[in-house]
Amino acid sequence: MPNSKPTTPFSGKMERKGNQGEIAGILVEFLEVAITSVVYLKGIYPSGAFERRRYMNVVVQRARHPQLREYIHSAVSGLLPSIQKGLVERVAVTFFNTDNIPMERFIFKLTVNQSFGSKVEESDLEFSLRSFLIKLSVSQPLTIVLPRDCRWEIMAYFRSLPQVSTSKDAEMWIPTDTKQWQQPPLITPIKSMNSEPLGLQLYLEHPSSSELVSG
Amino acid sequence: MVVKNKKLQNQFDAEASNSTRSDSSVKLIFHGVSIFVDGFTVPSSQELRQYMLNHGGRFENYFSRHRVTHIICSNLPDSKIKNLRSFSSGLPVVKPTWILDSVAANKLLSWVPYQLDQLANNQPTLSAFFTTKCKPADEGAFTNAICEVKHENEVLCLKDASKDASFSEAGNSFERRKQATEENDELMYENTDKTVTDGPSKSYSEEPEEVKVVEQSNLQEEDESMENYRLQSCPEQSTSSVSSHCFDNHGIRGSPTSTVIGPSKHRHSTLGDPNFVENYFKNSRLHFIGTWRNRYRNRFPSLSNGFTKSHSNVSAGTQKTPIIHIDMDCFFVSVVIRSHPELNGKPVAVCHSDNPKGTAEISSANYPARDYGIKAGMFVRDAKSLCPQLVILPYNFEAYEEVADQFYNILHKHCNRVQAVSCDEAFLDVTDLEGKDPQLLASAIRKEISEATGCTASAGIAENMLMARLATRTAKPNGQCYIHPERVDEYLDQLPIKVLPGIGHVLAEKLKIKNVRTCGELCLISKDSLQKDFGIKTGEMLWNYSRGMDNRLVGMIQESKSVGAEVNWGVRFRDLQHHFLLDLCKEVSLRLQGCGVQGRTFTLKIKKRRKDAGEAAKFMGCGDCENLSHSTTVPLATDDIEVLQRISKQLFGSFHIDVKDIRGVGLQVSRLESAGNSRQAPERNSLKSWLMSASTSSKQRFDINRIAKECVDSEGKSVGGNSGVLRIASGENSVHETNNAPNGEGRSNQSSSVPPLCHLDMGVVENLPSELLSELNEIYDGKLVGLITKRKVQGDKSTGSACFFPPERAQVEEAERSRNSASVSLRRTALEMKDTQYILEELQMVPDSEARPDSVAISTAGLENNDLVPSSLSQVDTSVLQQLPEELRADICEALPAHRMPEGTALGPRTDNMHPPLGIKTTTDNQPGSTDSGLRNNLWIGDPPLWVDKFKVSKLSTLNFFVDMYYKANSAKSLSSILQCIIAESLHPLNARCDAWNEAIHSFSELLMNYIKLKMVVDIEEIYVCFRLLRRLSTKSQFFLEVYNLVFPHLQASVDENYGGTLHIPPIK
Repeated sequence: MPNSKPTTPFSGKMERKGNQGEIAGILVEFLEVAITSVVYLKGIYPSGAFERRRYMNVVVQRARHPQLREYIHSAVSGLLPSIQKGLVERVAVTFFNTDNIPMERFIFKLTVNQSFGSKVEESDLEFSLRSFLIKLSVSQPLTIVLPRDCRWEIMAYFRSLPQVSTSKDAEMWIPTDTKQWQQPPLITPIKSMNSEPLGLQLYLEHPSSSELVSG
Repeated sequence: MVVKNKKLQNQFDAEASNSTRSDSSVKLIFHGVSIFVDGFTVPSSQELRQYMLNHGGRFENYFSRHRVTHIICSNLPDSKIKNLRSFSSGLPVVKPTWILDSVAANKLLSWVPYQLDQLANNQPTLSAFFTTKCKPADEGAFTNAICEVKHENEVLCLKDASKDASFSEAGNSFERRKQATEENDELMYENTDKTVTDGPSKSYSEEPEEVKVVEQSNLQEEDESMENYRLQSCPEQSTSSVSSHCFDNHGIRGSPTSTVIGPSKHRHSTLGDPNFVENYFKNSRLHFIGTWRNRYRNRFPSLSNGFTKSHSNVSAGTQKTPIIHIDMDCFFVSVVIRSHPELNGKPVAVCHSDNPKGTAEISSANYPARDYGIKAGMFVRDAKSLCPQLVILPYNFEAYEEVADQFYNILHKHCNRVQAVSCDEAFLDVTDLEGKDPQLLASAIRKEISEATGCTASAGIAENMLMARLATRTAKPNGQCYIHPERVDEYLDQLPIKVLPGIGHVLAEKLKIKNVRTCGELCLISKDSLQKDFGIKTGEMLWNYSRGMDNRLVGMIQESKSVGAEVNWGVRFRDLQHHFLLDLCKEVSLRLQGCGVQGRTFTLKIKKRRKDAGEAAKFMGCGDCENLSHSTTVPLATDDIEVLQRISKQLFGSFHIDVKDIRGVGLQVSRLESAGNSRQAPERNSLKSWLMSASTSSKQRFDINRIAKECVDSEGKSVGGNSGVLRIASGENSVHETNNAPNGEGRSNQSSSVPPLCHLDMGVVENLPSELLSELNEIYDGKLVGLITKRKVQGDKSTGSACFFPPERAQVEEAERSRNSASVSLRRTALEMKDTQYILEELQMVPDSEARPDSVAISTAGLENNDLVPSSLSQVDTSVLQQLPEELRADICEALPAHRMPEGTALGPRTDNMHPPLGIKTTTDNQPGSTDSGLRNNLWIGDPPLWVDKFKVSKLSTLNFFVDMYYKANSAKSLSSILQCIIAESLHPLNARCDAWNEAIHSFSELLMNYIKLKMVVDIEEIYVCFRLLRRLSTKSQFFLEVYNLVFPHLQASVDENYGGTLHIPPIK
């Protein structure tokens, strides 16, 4: 289990204030599912740790272990206020080897059009997000085989540092000190979508070959 | 699983009752509908479930052909489409919008328009449209009214081929026919009147004639009611003709059992008899039973599969359903005995040979014979030794059919839920008839059967099919038995397990080892251990049956999974006898056609004499044999006899055995598909098939006209003055008949036969491709060619107007019209025609709902002109073209320049109406590859994007190629789909270095960079796909290699800028 992350259960209720709130809510919910799918896909835990569920009318996996479930849930929910404000640029799921060197990163790149006025077609959004889940479930061949005893964590990249204690949830996010790659990574896109006002892209980052030699 | 299903059902019921109670105003529109959602749908299955909850329907989580009435799905994989029958079990496969629209309309809409596109694809073809339209129009007025009811019925069956529709319609026609005979003449008249007025086809211009005919038929009441009587007395004929049309004219022909079979003196083996196969099946009882079901279905098409729908209502409360099982007592004997009253009470058996020393097997024995220990399957000589006075009679298949038909007529009269098990055995579900005591009903039915057929039947009554069947066993002979639900256990306790259906020798032996002989003993074994020992299904069956539980529903007829024929008696070959194989194929092909199915997998089974086995004990029997089989699967389902023969020859060849050792041969066809689906495919493109339907109808018309004339002549006096008009009218017809051009067509919009010769636009005809021309010429009995040569002589004088025989007013008008648009050159018309055909073909293939109205528009337009090759097409096609879907238009535009005259002006003013891409823009001045910086980012703006126009006017063929690809990719917005098209294109015009090579590379690179800029931030996936495609292309083409190398650094820079990394394009393996 990841250890540097909060374990306190997330108790705040999802606010859906107007348009932005709604989008952010859907996005957060989606991220929770997608991240779980990524973890499942990488086979970090035995497959028995997951159970089949239906989300947006596709079959997805859900963590059975309460701690794992809680970690993902609380981490993503903690992002909600920041996403609403449009501060979050990327959310990364990073897999480390035993030396704490990142081996593979799944990056969700978000662009939320803050000035989008009209009503969001929820079904359109759902339709686009669904394609991520479908694509994700078949993108195993794009990924690398991880060594044993991997560790993983969720990271978020902010456009600016969040103000201190704007919300209780955001406090659970701490600055990270993980090792970074020295060379620009190799990017393999998995899925992109743009359904106003939300743009979302998912791609893989792998260390470039020179990195592995030096690292 | 059963428990789970039950639980789910209970849950659903509970929720349903809650939701309906809370809102009592909601109409239960889905009452009786039970859906199963397959795969991904919009809205989701959960939402659909909610709709069903709220509106009185049911929702099944697991597919069951017993409970589900409709399958809902948005998309099906190819494999399921191909094996639709096995996937859907014949249930309708409907799009989810059906539910939504039904809810919106607050009533249950017909599912037919909502059928899955993938399936609907092969429904409406042009030829079907033609036949349905013209038949009632041609025949309706002249044939008698009852026949018309029949025809209407046919048309409906053809039109939507839906079970529901044909069910109700068939029912109607039954009803009406009965009425017609039973009621008096007046009612009859009303009836005819009604059919004449309510047919949608009556609006054509021969009204006066039509009215006359109705009166005529009134005058001929007597004749007609006699006619009706005939129809009634042989309902077989009329119904079978209806259903034969349902089966795409294949119907029940070739069911060999319908031929009369005497005790023929056929020779006994494949050695001598060239018609062995045919005779074999003629004399086979098993064959009779096997093909009987087919016949039954054709007789009661609606009844045998129409009530699955109404069924689901009951499924919730099936527990208390009273079921009656009726079985004729020793059917095969008692039917034959009827004509031999002197044999009553004497031991009689039926067998195809009565040679007392013979090894023929007894197929059925009556009860007195059974007392002697005679059983079915016994050799005659053994039977004779048990009972020397045993009388042996031959089969009488004709009588069997007759009795079976009577039997089912009676059953269907009493109960509308009949499941035929065999020709002499059926289950009735009498839940609907709650008022009646099932026991009284059973005895009434039995009494009626014995009065009508002279044979006795036994009945068992119980709460499920299993118990009813067991009860019949107790009831036999000629009795009935009711097993009360509370006494089931008592009844079963001592029952030997072998009596249970589904438990044969093998299973019984296995159980015997476990010391299980009766149901009571079987009950003691737990379900788990039964399932462990015998498999899940068998174990469950055993467990259920031993407790008298059976949750099958009456009325479910298993779709047959394979069709085949096997001969294992009298097979002796001396050398390779191909004709035997061929005959077998013929038989199988006929059976396939009889069932209306086609198959893909063909299995040839051969019984080979074991090395050490001597001659079989049974005369000409197969003896001790090894069973060998080979099978093959073809991609396209077929029932074609030639294909079958070819395949079976191949398969036979693969055995490599001595033909002398062959004791039996069987050919089995599986992976069945319904014939309708695939049949149309090969014929679709044949002009002839398109015309054939029309030309046959014109023949019919010819006949009918003649009949009409005769009628008029004979009736002339009584009808009086009016008949004068009529005679003139029909006289006119006959005049034109001599011209081989019935004039009536010229007026009636409905008729659609081959256009009369003089209506053809010779200009068009001359310019047809030679193969089309010869086909047309055939249709016109060779007159066409003569006409063309004649015309060529004439053509020197006249300037080539469209029409050559101007006697008809309508034609003169037409000719004038075409002259008015005198600028129309003949060559141009020819082009148009080609295009329209192109459109027509396209439309047939495009399932797009948008396209459908257009196709109707075109064909009706064609009908109005009453010409296949409409001469005044210029009035039609512009509007049609405009309404065509964009991709079609693009196709046409693409195809046009090839035919156009070099000046490009032949299209004249019409060009303006067409889609802009077609027009040749001479105004735009820009040079290809102009690197105007203002346009830099805008190459992808607009619809079609700017670059398309730019590239099109370019002089570089390379760039023009991209425009072609753009349209080929259906005007795709994304570069990747265009690149995909390029990859699919095998011929690249991009390899030869042309003069402006660098210019082309530059232009295309610019396009790419524009695209990168446009998509980099929002859609890196698209960029990724594009560059992977480019990379692949670069291995094939120098052009793309250079472009790739040029743009790639730019790409990586852009990725690094936006994503802080480099795009990883995997190397090509």
